[in-house]
Amino acid sequence: MSLLQEEREIIVQNEYADSFDFQEIEEFVKNASKNLFISHNFKNKNKMLVQPRGGFPTYEKQFALNEFFVKANVDVLPLTIDSNTRLNDYAMAKKMLRLSEENEVDMLNGYPLVNHGYRTTRKMITHFDKPVSLRHGTPDARLLIETAIASGIFEIEGGPITYLLPYSKNFPLDKAFLYWKYVERVCANYSKLNEPINRESFGPLTATLVPPCITIVIQLLEMLLSLEEGVKSFSVSFSQTGSVNQDIVTSAVLKKMAKYYAKKIDCEDAQINLVYHQWMGAFPSNKDYSESLINTSTVIAALVKADKIITKTRDEAFGIPTKEANAKTVANTQYTLRILQGLPNIVNEQEEEILTQEVKSIMEAVFNDSADTLWRKVFNSIKNGTIDVPFSPHIINNNEVVTVRDKDKNIRIIKRGNLPISDKCFEYEKSKCNLDKDATSIVNDIIHDIGIMQ
Amino acid sequence: MKVVTGVVGNDIHVVANRLIEISLQARGFEVFNLGVNTYLEEFIDAVIETDANILLISSLNGEAEGWCRELNILKSKYKQLKDVVFMLGGNLAVGEKTTQEIVPKFKDYGFDLVFHQVDLNTGLDELEKYIKANR
Repeated sequence: MSLLQEEREIIVQNEYADSFDFQEIEEFVKNASKNLFISHNFKNKNKMLVQPRGGFPTYEKQFALNEFFVKANVDVLPLTIDSNTRLNDYAMAKKMLRLSEENEVDMLNGYPLVNHGYRTTRKMITHFDKPVSLRHGTPDARLLIETAIASGIFEIEGGPITYLLPYSKNFPLDKAFLYWKYVERVCANYSKLNEPINRESFGPLTATLVPPCITIVIQLLEMLLSLEEGVKSFSVSFSQTGSVNQDIVTSAVLKKMAKYYAKKIDCEDAQINLVYHQWMGAFPSNKDYSESLINTSTVIAALVKADKIITKTRDEAFGIPTKEANAKTVANTQYTLRILQGLPNIVNEQEEEILTQEVKSIMEAVFNDSADTLWRKVFNSIKNGTIDVPFSPHIINNNEVVTVRDKDKNIRIIKRGNLPISDKCFEYEKSKCNLDKDATSIVNDIIHDIGIMQ
Repeated sequence: MKVVTGVVGNDIHVVANRLIEISLQARGFEVFNLGVNTYLEEFIDAVIETDANILLISSLNGEAEGWCRELNILKSKYKQLKDVVFMLGGNLAVGEKTTQEIVPKFKDYGFDLVFHQVDLNTGLDELEKYIKANR
């Protein structure tokens, strides 16, 4: 038995999980409907896939939500996991699930997949026969991913960087890399049986003034960490920046660089997809304005030719959306996509050139780290600030980079910390901003720039 | 002057915390930022370790009271804390409460300056005024 298989046997032995029958699960994946694989949908559906967010504690409510989504002509169903499961606290998730089942109140902010188990959940997934995307935020997702794939969930979101730096203060980053390595390997192994399992990185990060070069570098590194373990279908992603120009430039450079670096490690056979998140920052409290914002996001997603869009709802400013509001966005987004025909191809060569140079400088610095494996190089680069995510709560993050918006709402770097971007690029970034103001007004600008959509 | 700052209790709201750090630095303070999710004991340890002049605690989720009521007890344990300025700011209550209700309560717990739903720069202006007046 391989070392990985030994680890798997240990991981699935958990009093809160189903008893795992690996042989039966392999048979299931081998014979599973092609429709369940988003990788198959990416190849064969000639349209942008629309995916909402959503997860309810009980099976019945999740089933009802999915019915609403299907009626609204959804392409990809979400399964959002509750916060206890994300922290591997299955005992608390079990208790809260029971309370949710016994009363008419939702005591969890998502679906406790491990507690429901794969035998139960598989019934729901195969019933709808649509691809399902697992949305969580878990640093140690080993048991969760085993349960998800056994259930028929063939898209796994997350990664060691994007699920840690925005969400945690002190979960050890080195452990997260190793736990995610397990996830990549399990996904890679299952990918050999039928269509590939798709892995997706979480590009929005903190969704607070993150400059495109940092978003792109982290997308590329999580992609490489995944491909080097044998994953054959991967989605890079980012969220609406607040500037249409910057969205277009970001997508162009991200697509180009993803191909370039995949080829560099001889993984050009892997399918790389682009995912666009509708605005991830603070929403307006006026629900009609929220709908307008969502619609604008959809237009931009079409402009950047995303392969999938992940939607928000008019309830965003107020908490977890109702299934009605959630399904409404899906229907509206499908409508907008259908009527958007003949969009122009916009290119901003100068901005693309600057962004490409920034990305290449940071990537080069990561590769030049003296560690022996890629994950250790990335780990060291985060520790020393070569990669620095604005507004990350994690203690390992360097927190030196400062960004503001220029007059066209592009996010610009005005303090680079240890980011290894060239003087030329840094001067360009600064030249777009008015930096003659005193420090207090700049802080006020930053506050304003965070809340631009409110 | 040295300032220790951070967000108290199980509160992970990082945006304001980072802005406080940038603003304090802009005003010439030396900042030791403990970040989000910090307990009162950790703040006190950091003040003693860095020999700080000011402790600036922030809170957004409204749960500050439960995490801060022991301040006087901790202050009485360490005589090094005698000249430290204790400041608290943010959204200091769950639900709607008035400044008149909140400020005296936290001053009783041992804070010198308390700001409930006050703009960041106004709060820091007040801090600078207070330091000047008490020098």
